[in-house]
Amino acid sequence: MSEGLAGAAGDRDGAAATRAGAVRSRPLVSVAAVLAVVALWQAAGSLGWIGPALLPTPAEVLQTGRELAETGYRQVPLWEHILVSVARAGVAFLAAVLTGVPLGLVMGVSPTVAALFDPFVQFLRPLPKLALIPLVIVWFGIGEFSKFFLIYIATVLSIVVGAAGAVAAVGQERRRAAAVLGVSRYQMFRHVLLPSTLPELFTSVRLALGIGWTTLIAAEMVAATSGLGWMVVNAGAYLRTDVVMLGIVLLGLIGYGLDRAIVGLQKVMVPWTGHA
Amino acid sequence: MLKHWLARALAVASLLAVPLAPAALLSSLASSAAAQTATAPAVPEVVRLGYAGGPRVWMLGKADGSYEKAFGTKVQWVPFNSGADVLTLLAAKELDIVRFGSSPAVAGIIRKLPIEVIGVSGVIATSERLIGRAAVKSVKDLEGRTVGYPANSTAHYALQAALKVNKVDVAKVKQVPLRPADIVAAWKRGDIDAAYVWGPFTQQLEADGGHEVLASRDLQKDGYYVWNNFVARKEFLEKHPQIAVQLLRVFQKNVEQYKRDPEGSAKIVAEHLNVDLAAARSTLAGIEYPELAEQATLKWLGDGTDTADSVIAKGMKDTANFLAEIGEVRKADIPDSFAPWINTRYLREALARKDAAVKP
Repeated sequence: MSEGLAGAAGDRDGAAATRAGAVRSRPLVSVAAVLAVVALWQAAGSLGWIGPALLPTPAEVLQTGRELAETGYRQVPLWEHILVSVARAGVAFLAAVLTGVPLGLVMGVSPTVAALFDPFVQFLRPLPKLALIPLVIVWFGIGEFSKFFLIYIATVLSIVVGAAGAVAAVGQERRRAAAVLGVSRYQMFRHVLLPSTLPELFTSVRLALGIGWTTLIAAEMVAATSGLGWMVVNAGAYLRTDVVMLGIVLLGLIGYGLDRAIVGLQKVMVPWTGHA
Repeated sequence: MLKHWLARALAVASLLAVPLAPAALLSSLASSAAAQTATAPAVPEVVRLGYAGGPRVWMLGKADGSYEKAFGTKVQWVPFNSGADVLTLLAAKELDIVRFGSSPAVAGIIRKLPIEVIGVSGVIATSERLIGRAAVKSVKDLEGRTVGYPANSTAHYALQAALKVNKVDVAKVKQVPLRPADIVAAWKRGDIDAAYVWGPFTQQLEADGGHEVLASRDLQKDGYYVWNNFVARKEFLEKHPQIAVQLLRVFQKNVEQYKRDPEGSAKIVAEHLNVDLAAARSTLAGIEYPELAEQATLKWLGDGTDTADSVIAKGMKDTANFLAEIGEVRKADIPDSFAPWINTRYLREALARKDAAVKP
């Protein structure tokens, strides 16, 4: 994430050679920092500073990873845990994009629609989703839909707010200029509003993806027997901190990968980001 | 000092390196390094006792303050939801002595938590039961149906044992881990056909069309004992052995009070915890309370020399093997015997004192 921001900053200040040099060495600094922390982490365990139950060493986590890859965790292969979680988050996230973006855009264009939905969106958005779990079970039961719903509700609201905000951010003069040229409502939307809002839409979608991925743990606390979030919670119950650590590392890496994927998609679909 | 500063900094740093760290782990890591006393006074400033929040006999002592009196210091009562939380709290050194279930205690020992079992607080007889709908007449009937249970609990252990004893095809049973309150919600919606849980939730299911299929006591004849124990941090025991002795003595008095007057005791406990009297009555009656004198025999913990052959030591080993079987712990991590983690010294001292007190 920081790399992406640094890259964007570098594009703008391309003239300053020294800045560019600093930007180029940043990945190196990051890699070195991560390696140093991992080394210190390993040393803490190897030298007995911290007990293995409190902080399993990277070597132990790696060993656990190998074990789980071979035999699975609780009769479910590790790849299945990963796949189940990605599928849960992915489906809910896609549904959130497909419903949240149109609703947000309409709210941005029409003050009446905005006034209609705003109270609910603003009330639900900051709500800790863990608080919804008992209700979700009573309403939707303990099946997959409950898990889907928790992730969906967490992501869709921030997408709606982001999309509405993106429309509002489009300059009045740009709209007026288009109006003067006599564009139809559709043309206004297709050729003025959409291109102008897409960069910001991508940003809110990207943030929402992060939120959805973090809600995974809450979702998989509902009667799950597979998935990375469930694995972390369940292993914690038995103080299997090595499995917890492994789950955290996997969640982190996959989350990072998904974020990169969105950034990549943004570069392809909205190459004008940052030049508007 | 430096060591602890380093440990803390490191715990935080390593978690910063991996995003999405659950807060619980972070706080447990950070505070574990922080909680350390420099000197060891004879009586600690405060004794932190962990309790499950449900109606249990030692709540009599919590209600009348007899633990404070016996310890000669303050008591901080730390509530927890399930044995799973206890392990985290013990690892973080946020608890000194705790009363909790056998299977999470065994899981903690396997994970090398520095803790010791100092006594048995009760054997789960009918306080934890398998409740089913009308169609579930026997454990075997769970095949093709859904059953709920609280994860890593004594009820979870008992459910697995019940499935095994009754030769149920586990592949045909849909088992869902749910928190006790969520079990009731799932039951009301019709999502589960049965649940293995404790009071007052069992009574709630029964009030809503459920009936008892099996109680944990029924598993004893097949060698499956489910009990609650007093567990203490080793470090605390070494510094304050007298607190452990006093705790067992007061507990014995609570048990005697309950046996003398079950109804009055249930009332006190129900009022103190603000729970339903009927639920308190049935939960308290659903636990068997072995006498301290009995506990120091092979029937329970042994006298320290023969502890390896005691029922509890064997029960812990069985529990460990079972946890490995279902994949929660590594087989290789299980010790040969659990006797080193059972310390009957405090039990014996409490008994010696009790004898002295009995004949003035």
